[in-house]
Amino acid sequence: MKKILAILMAGVLTATAFAGCGGDASSNSGSSSKAGESSGSTATGVNASVVDAAYFGDEDNVKLKVWTPDAAVNLVKQQIESFKKAYSDKKFDITVVAQGEQDAATQMLNDASAAADVFSFPSDQLNKLVDAGVIAPVAKGFTDYVTSSNSEDTIKAGTSKNTLYAYPETNDNGYYMVYDNTVVTEEDAKTLEGTLAACKKAGKKFIFDAGDGFYACTFAFTAGAKIDGLEEDGITQKFVKYDEDEAVKTLQAFAKLIKEYKGTFTSLNVKNVASGFKNGTCGAGVDGSWDTKVNQDSLGDKFGAAKLPTIKVGDEDKQLVSMFGYKYIGVNGSSKYPNSAQILALYLSGEECQKQRTEELGWGPSNVNVQKDKVVTESPVLNAIKDQSQNSCTQVNISSTFWTPMGNLGNKLVAEEWNPDDADATRKLLQDTITNIRDEG
Amino acid sequence: MIKSYKLRRHVANFFIYALLIILGIIWISPFVYLVMHSFRGEGLIAVDWLIPHEWTLQNYIDLFTGAGGNASINFPRWFLNTFVVAIFSCIISTVSVLMVSYAFSRLRFKSRKKFMNVGMILGMFPGFMTMIAIYYLLKAMNLTGTLVALVICYSCGAGLGFQISKGFFDTIPRALDEAATIDGATKNQIFWRIILPMSKPIVVYTVLTSFIGPWTDFILAKIIMGDNLDNYTVAIGLQKMLSNDFINTYYKQFLAGSVIVAVPITLLFLKMQKYYVEGVTAGGVKG
Amino acid sequence: MTYVEYKQLNPFQRFAYNFKKFVLNIPHAVAKFFKAIGSAIVRFFTGIGKGFKNYGVTFVKGDWATKLSYLIFGIGDIHKGKYYKGILFFLTEVLYALYMIFFGWTYLQKFSTLGNVKTTQGFNELGMPETVYGDNSMLILLYSVLSIVITILVFAVYISNIKDAYRHQVLRAEGGKPTSLKHDVKEFLDGKYHMTLLSFPTLMIGIFNIMPMVFMILIAFTNYDQQHLPPGTLFTWVGFDNFASLFNFVDSATKATTFIELTKWTLIWAVVATFTNYILGMVVALMINKKGIKFKALWRTLFVIAIAVPQFVSLLLMNQMLQSNGAINIVLSYFNGGVNPEIQFLNSSTLMARMTVIIVNLWVGIPYTILSMSGILMNIPEDLYESARIDGAGPVKTFTKITLPYMIFVTTPQLITQFVGNINNFNVIYLLTGGGPSTEQFYQAGRTDILVTWLFNLTMGSQDYGLAAAIGILVFIVCATLSLLIYNNSKSMKDEEAFS
Repeated sequence: MKKILAILMAGVLTATAFAGCGGDASSNSGSSSKAGESSGSTATGVNASVVDAAYFGDEDNVKLKVWTPDAAVNLVKQQIESFKKAYSDKKFDITVVAQGEQDAATQMLNDASAAADVFSFPSDQLNKLVDAGVIAPVAKGFTDYVTSSNSEDTIKAGTSKNTLYAYPETNDNGYYMVYDNTVVTEEDAKTLEGTLAACKKAGKKFIFDAGDGFYACTFAFTAGAKIDGLEEDGITQKFVKYDEDEAVKTLQAFAKLIKEYKGTFTSLNVKNVASGFKNGTCGAGVDGSWDTKVNQDSLGDKFGAAKLPTIKVGDEDKQLVSMFGYKYIGVNGSSKYPNSAQILALYLSGEECQKQRTEELGWGPSNVNVQKDKVVTESPVLNAIKDQSQNSCTQVNISSTFWTPMGNLGNKLVAEEWNPDDADATRKLLQDTITNIRDEG
Repeated sequence: MIKSYKLRRHVANFFIYALLIILGIIWISPFVYLVMHSFRGEGLIAVDWLIPHEWTLQNYIDLFTGAGGNASINFPRWFLNTFVVAIFSCIISTVSVLMVSYAFSRLRFKSRKKFMNVGMILGMFPGFMTMIAIYYLLKAMNLTGTLVALVICYSCGAGLGFQISKGFFDTIPRALDEAATIDGATKNQIFWRIILPMSKPIVVYTVLTSFIGPWTDFILAKIIMGDNLDNYTVAIGLQKMLSNDFINTYYKQFLAGSVIVAVPITLLFLKMQKYYVEGVTAGGVKG
Repeated sequence: MTYVEYKQLNPFQRFAYNFKKFVLNIPHAVAKFFKAIGSAIVRFFTGIGKGFKNYGVTFVKGDWATKLSYLIFGIGDIHKGKYYKGILFFLTEVLYALYMIFFGWTYLQKFSTLGNVKTTQGFNELGMPETVYGDNSMLILLYSVLSIVITILVFAVYISNIKDAYRHQVLRAEGGKPTSLKHDVKEFLDGKYHMTLLSFPTLMIGIFNIMPMVFMILIAFTNYDQQHLPPGTLFTWVGFDNFASLFNFVDSATKATTFIELTKWTLIWAVVATFTNYILGMVVALMINKKGIKFKALWRTLFVIAIAVPQFVSLLLMNQMLQSNGAINIVLSYFNGGVNPEIQFLNSSTLMARMTVIIVNLWVGIPYTILSMSGILMNIPEDLYESARIDGAGPVKTFTKITLPYMIFVTTPQLITQFVGNINNFNVIYLLTGGGPSTEQFYQAGRTDILVTWLFNLTMGSQDYGLAAAIGILVFIVCATLSLLIYNNSKSMKDEEAFS
């Protein structure tokens, strides 16, 4: 409580300070003059997640709806209570509704006016939301503060058409390897071969969801076929130039290894990882940051986390490359209280709230100050995610035709009838996959 | 000769019994699996064995108290919602089906056959596209997210399902109507006093089918309800429990919830089976 | 073939004969069908012509009140003393005018372009983002359809207002008096009872079925897709582009391939699913209902439970059970020396997945067949069997001579309904396989997807509304033609009054 009060004080002080000296160099120049014109003494820029009440304009008796994942509902409710205290002279009626982030864009597109005013979503949905014109950009006065307080990558991925559209919320939207440390040692976990061998020895499974494009793209990315945003038409997926022979060799290496460890390497829905840990049938698996808590609960002391392992291709140990993204808090463009929605989004994405989410839910923060915090630097999971993020493609600007062909690639490679020695078939599969992603029908 | 015939019949019956037992087991086993695992204590989602190791009532308790997860799941409320929606839509549907089929079966008027043809083909339109339009129509009436909207959706098209009950009405001799008309009864009186009392099987059949609808539909209902969790029906709720966000926490509760939904419908069905068969047969033969 | 010859055939030959006749009859029936449509169109236009003529003639012959009814609804009726009807006519006009002025016209005027004012985003004086919404093509289309439908209905009211005015004018000239309200109400419970009965259901169907349908049909001619999503962006008319892309193997090869392949599989699926269900269901029903088999109710109950469990529950459960770590594989491992065979039923081989779907569909569908068949079996008149037994027929003979022909005759319409139902069988495919196994050759579809599930993926997944609507229309045309043909040629329709 004291902390919040302190932030509030700081916010008010700085805001008035800025107002006093007009267009400060560090504040946003675009809005300052206009703001000044409208009411002589309003704020011109912010450097905290609590801002001058002048930003509310004439909004009062504010009614807002917030979408957040089920796991965070209770925490967000608490945070909203402190938000209300921070702006105690305004009246709020804020409801929090559980809404899975993966559906956020779909729900917004179906009917934005019935959707939440403030909502969480993963980075790859940004383009869809911007194209459909349903998301409002970040308020001009807040942009500098948001940009400076969050990591560069998250800002970059939250920007579309040179405009920052969303408030970064997390810096952890990716997958990594979780393992039972009584089965797989830290050393084993460094290579895929080692992990699989350890699992096989213990008679346990290694679970990887090869049928889901989100995970299966690891095969293609590791092989070198990494994505590189969209072409100029704004819909066709762009790939970096890669050595096709090398890529085929890598895919063959995967298929060979999978075949060799048939019965150990299992392609199953990712939700089976936690379940398998709980049943004692799973030795290791690739799972996302959102399942960290349930995996930790299932394994207890036996919980181990590491970046994705390497795979031996020829003589080289190749690091597996994953898909990695961020989560954002967005503001609905059709909100009836647009100013309040911006202020709430700024608050919820602020340092204090991010820190609480890291402490209670284990989410990796995007805020640079929180990233330096002990909670983050000493967390094995967040470190594993951070390490993995060095070897990843950013989950932004993904064409909607990306996922299905990638999932198909994964399904084919792990299928029993797939022949890993058939280089031609592998090459054709890779080519078909890329063509299908790029050709939108 | 007679002996061998009898023997043959015994052998045949024996095989039939054997086959029926095997088939019965196949048909009932998913249900048995569902019930068993709804009492399972261990594991989160699937387990690698058939019979649970730990038995517990916890899943049912959690389901009704909302414990064991965040506050988003409110199964008792959803159950009540579904029940209310089912009752109302069942009343409206039954009334409109009976009205339409009586009109088509007993009354003769201009363009009757055209109406019937249009009615029949309208029911064949793939519904997914029309859902967007229905959603915005309901929104224009300020009804989205309400139970009233669901009642409207489940009962508005009911009149199109007239074939079976029309077939049933067709089998009632017209001489009855004629006699009543001579006695001075109006068409309205004939409908209420003569035809309806004779139509118990078809009424039960219609009530049964329209009562079950709201318990099983999850696509239309989900679009109409959006994020209004308080007004969810059990079908959307159960579906939600299997979404990525929820499945690890709620899978076993999903199984328990499915049993809770299935048991009353099963009992209802078993009790009403006789009428259902009569209705569908009488109507189906002609329809 | 003469009647005597026909009577001498055995039931199978008769069935074959009828079936052949039916198949041979299809071209004829199709021709008749289109001829009927053609003549209906001709009648429609001659009707309109006649309507115009009457419209003019009535105006010339009408008195001042009738003439005024051409402008103001209901004046004629009120003048002749038919007050309640006149007032209703008048109210209709007032309400319509209000609707058009305050709501309908704003949308209807943009119908031809579906809007041209774009949505823009900017910042207000506080530096806060502000969205200025332009036209919403979807709402323009929807409310235009609503306005057009309402206009047509009001036009019908307008015409009947004129006719009614003239009728009452003639009535007065002949010295008659308009009927009272009480009399009319009575008439609606007797002579015009069908109007009373049908009006409410028709209204509901009109609003929530027909209007959305018209909307959907129109969507098929627009470019409503991922790049043209209201409210942010506008969409507009594109003619037959969506239909063309389904058949264009050059520019949109993936879509066209998907369409052709899915159509094939949809038809195979519908035929196989219908007939396996029908035949196996009949076999089980016969076994249960065989004389001498005890516990009939028990057997039937076992199968009925499968109906009573909501389909989405049982199918989702089946999906779990068919996974490589699911119950089926566990059971199989008992026969495999304890080693889990990890068979991928649903997402590996196309053939395996398709067979699994068909088999699971048997599990879902057979109980329904059993229920209806049991009823029919119990309904076969006992005296048929009596006389057969007196003639010395054995059980095999009574079965082939009586039971089978009776069943086939009686259930043919059901078979067709089920066939159409299977073309649109969304649940089994969507919940069981979700369309899998995936393939790189299809656009937004998998190997077991049928047309309706593809349609669903296109709307809910990739927002290709225009394309989806086009597919919807094609599926609808096939189903509707098929059922119209069959129903109007089926015995039950021709002999509607046979029992009465």
